[in-house]
Amino acid sequence: MADRLERLVNLTATLLETRRSLTLDEVSERVEPRYPDDKTARRRRFERDKETLRELGIPIRVESVDGFGAEQAYRIHPDDYYLPELSLSEAELAALHVAVTAVRLEGDAGREGLAKLGGLAGEGADTAVAELDVSPGLAVLFDAVSRHATVTFSHRGAPRRLDPYGVVLRFGHWYVVGHDRDRDAPRAFRVDRIEGEPELGPDGAFTPPPDVDPADYVRADPMTYGEDQPVDAHVLVDAPRAGWVVDQLGEEAVVERRPDGAVVVRLPVVNRAAFRTWVVDLLDHAEVLSPPELRADMVAWLDAVAAPAGSDA
Amino acid sequence: MSRPLVGPRLQRVLALVPWILAHPGVTLTELAARFEVSERELERDLELLPMCGLPPYTADRLIDVSVIDGSVEIRLAEYFERPLRLTPAEGLALLAAGRALLAVPGSDVDGPLATALAKLDDALGAPGALAVDVGTSDQLERLQDAAAADERVEIDYFSFARDEMTTRVIDPWRVFHAFGAWYVAAWCHRVDAERLFRVDRVRAVRATGEHFDPASRADDDTRDLVYRPRPDDPRVTLHLAPSADWVVESHPHESATRRKDGSWRVVLAISEPAWLERLLVGLGPDATVVAPPELLSLGADAAARLRHRYEDS
Repeated sequence: MADRLERLVNLTATLLETRRSLTLDEVSERVEPRYPDDKTARRRRFERDKETLRELGIPIRVESVDGFGAEQAYRIHPDDYYLPELSLSEAELAALHVAVTAVRLEGDAGREGLAKLGGLAGEGADTAVAELDVSPGLAVLFDAVSRHATVTFSHRGAPRRLDPYGVVLRFGHWYVVGHDRDRDAPRAFRVDRIEGEPELGPDGAFTPPPDVDPADYVRADPMTYGEDQPVDAHVLVDAPRAGWVVDQLGEEAVVERRPDGAVVVRLPVVNRAAFRTWVVDLLDHAEVLSPPELRADMVAWLDAVAAPAGSDA
Repeated sequence: MSRPLVGPRLQRVLALVPWILAHPGVTLTELAARFEVSERELERDLELLPMCGLPPYTADRLIDVSVIDGSVEIRLAEYFERPLRLTPAEGLALLAAGRALLAVPGSDVDGPLATALAKLDDALGAPGALAVDVGTSDQLERLQDAAAADERVEIDYFSFARDEMTTRVIDPWRVFHAFGAWYVAAWCHRVDAERLFRVDRVRAVRATGEHFDPASRADDDTRDLVYRPRPDDPRVTLHLAPSADWVVESHPHESATRRKDGSWRVVLAISEPAWLERLLVGLGPDATVVAPPELLSLGADAAARLRHRYEDS
């Protein structure tokens, strides 16, 4: 353990300090404690070290020595290794310490990152004020945003190519937003609905528009996010739920207040499925008044659920 | 033989060295606190360094460490002068935690956290590319103030699961954001038990003029609090179409099995029938109750009931 750690530190220093890439033979001649003499064992040991460094975010560049790829050489490029000068003040470090203790995320990446920036300064927070889920694949997408690399992935079974401009957490879900290359239009995708690992294209494949605000790509309400023909719906909400619905939609959505305390609200609908779910969530306290086609949609839906196909009802 | 992980220790060593180089004379006690390690472990890390350096590992090429009266200095390690870059996961975690905390109503949007995040944005080459929206609610700040002041309050609360409005006196312990919503963890005097309330369902908050003893506050964990099925909650077994897989993602379940055709068999604990009615009417043909027998027609019955409002259609 101590030997291996020592060798990993020395390997990192050597590959970082060298002006040209080193072959495995050259690495073995230099780095102590020595790699095994046996070629197969040496290669295995070296690959394992390389993998450990890669996991820690230490990128070893692999270059072909002769142009044919028969022999490879290795180095760590200083630009890949060194953190750009950040000059964080002690107060800023302490503020980040509060953030990583007050906002809980799965895993230790926040604390590990903070260690690189200068460790834990000041006092952390006693209790969490927020807890965020981090979807697998999110770090890869964020990396693509930083690198300006086009990503390809499968989303709900469909292949997508996206120039990612940012990642956004809203309604408890992460979205990756950007320019959809195939549809030639802005799009947002829920990250937890991406299947498998997203793949990154080459760096610098696009230039994001100036002053882009990724949050604009994820609209304020999932119900307004869809591709159905937009239509204004009027919904009657009974008194017991009226206050709650008005809080949710805002006073400007109210088109009528009835003497019994019920309200009629107007909603712009571009996603009929989300609209239906919203109405169904109000159970007995809501009724779609207009337009006729949305009212008919709701009736047809309820009829279908009330008497499922194949039943005797 | 136990094998301590070499990765985390290497990571720590590579974070320690640049910090000590930048802060010569830093004490062991401060280092231990900053890097979350015991002084004993720290000493072991420092003992390792004098064996590390560059080939040919002569005295002038090895890292020079001196610890005098508990103060540490390092020389001959210029290549580790600057810390290692943040990995995408680390950068993401720090930015997400920081942005989330900044988004909490009442936070200092011009303070050191904001300036630290701006520097991180630049270093990661993705200015403004990560946004976190934790939303807000009418009663959020009122409840945050009440929790901070140990103030007992009366609330009007819409119980979504039971579909009813209630008034209750609560001791608000803590207000936090999780899974896309704000919650208040509190002692509820109506049921004489610890309860979790969604802030967006709190319609009104009234002062009682009383305060509670903060020592009564439970040592809570948000993850447990958000959903805690009781052993006697009824269970339902559902068959879900592949397109309803989000139910498996977004509801805590006892078991979930994916079938060959992509459909799911999932067992959920249900606290209130209204909750299951919404799920079944909302999902329609995508969900079927498999067991228990008394719930087989719950969705169809609810749909038929809701259909009554549309008799003229």
